[in-house]
Amino acid sequence: MFVPDLYGLRERFDNEKILLCFNGPISRSLIEEIGNALRNYLKSEQASPASALDVFAVYIELTQNIRHYAMRSEWPAAETATVVVSFREGHYHISAGNLLRISDGEALLDKVQKLGAMDKAELKTLYKQQLRKPREEGVASGAGLGLIDIARKASAPMVPALKDLENGTGFFSLSVQI
Amino acid sequence: MNDLTIVSTQSTPLIETDSTRGVIYMEGDSYPENSFEFYGDLVGWVTAYLQENSRPLVLELALLYLNTSSIKVMMDIFDELEEAHQAGRDITVNWRYDSDNERVAELAEEFKEDCSFSFNIIGQE
Repeated sequence: MFVPDLYGLRERFDNEKILLCFNGPISRSLIEEIGNALRNYLKSEQASPASALDVFAVYIELTQNIRHYAMRSEWPAAETATVVVSFREGHYHISAGNLLRISDGEALLDKVQKLGAMDKAELKTLYKQQLRKPREEGVASGAGLGLIDIARKASAPMVPALKDLENGTGFFSLSVQI
Repeated sequence: MNDLTIVSTQSTPLIETDSTRGVIYMEGDSYPENSFEFYGDLVGWVTAYLQENSRPLVLELALLYLNTSSIKVMMDIFDELEEAHQAGRDITVNWRYDSDNERVAELAEEFKEDCSFSFNIIGQE
């Protein structure tokens, strides 16, 4: 039988200072439970209340974005999320990725790059503009604020990546430093 | 009018309304996936209260974390309150937070920037 290399996996987690990792179909209740574990962990590590809340907020926006995309696109493969939270060089890092249609991935990449080029004051102005926009009918969430909010909380420009899987789909991931 | 009592869950706050005293009380975290659906009853209550009488309305808030779709709904409610205030209504928001967590104060502060009614952000030890 196949035996997974658990020690190898554990060593990799340790080396990369990964505190939390998830890979699989993400549901509303899993987002809550993993979020709860993350909060407890941050509390036990005595992260400041402000950075603990920032890490939690970024985790929620990233994972809920994936859920909303999966529901909107009606494409079950998009429900599988890969989420990693790590602590390196004095900063928390939250990364999340999922499959999407390559055209959606390209649009997202463009959006993240534009946000990455803006300073905090410009981001705040954009955030307030978006907050005032009427909500699109029939859109569950997608207040359009999530990525801007993440960019505002990040302590370094967000790092997006899009891997073209050459079948019309791609794997998009976003890494955020707090 | 019918008052609301919505018990809290891990991702949604406690919400209570008292139309006799003119008070809305909210406490906890708010990050439901579908905030517009979750807050539908509260939005409806606010609109009905403002239509039915001209009495003051006080929001007693002890909200901690709001996801962006909850922020959007709260902003819509504050906009409606602002309109009522411009028309002469007495509106007050008291937002209490744990003074260890400045992020909550910053969140409340951003709402306050767009409101001209009495908006108190109260840090507690």
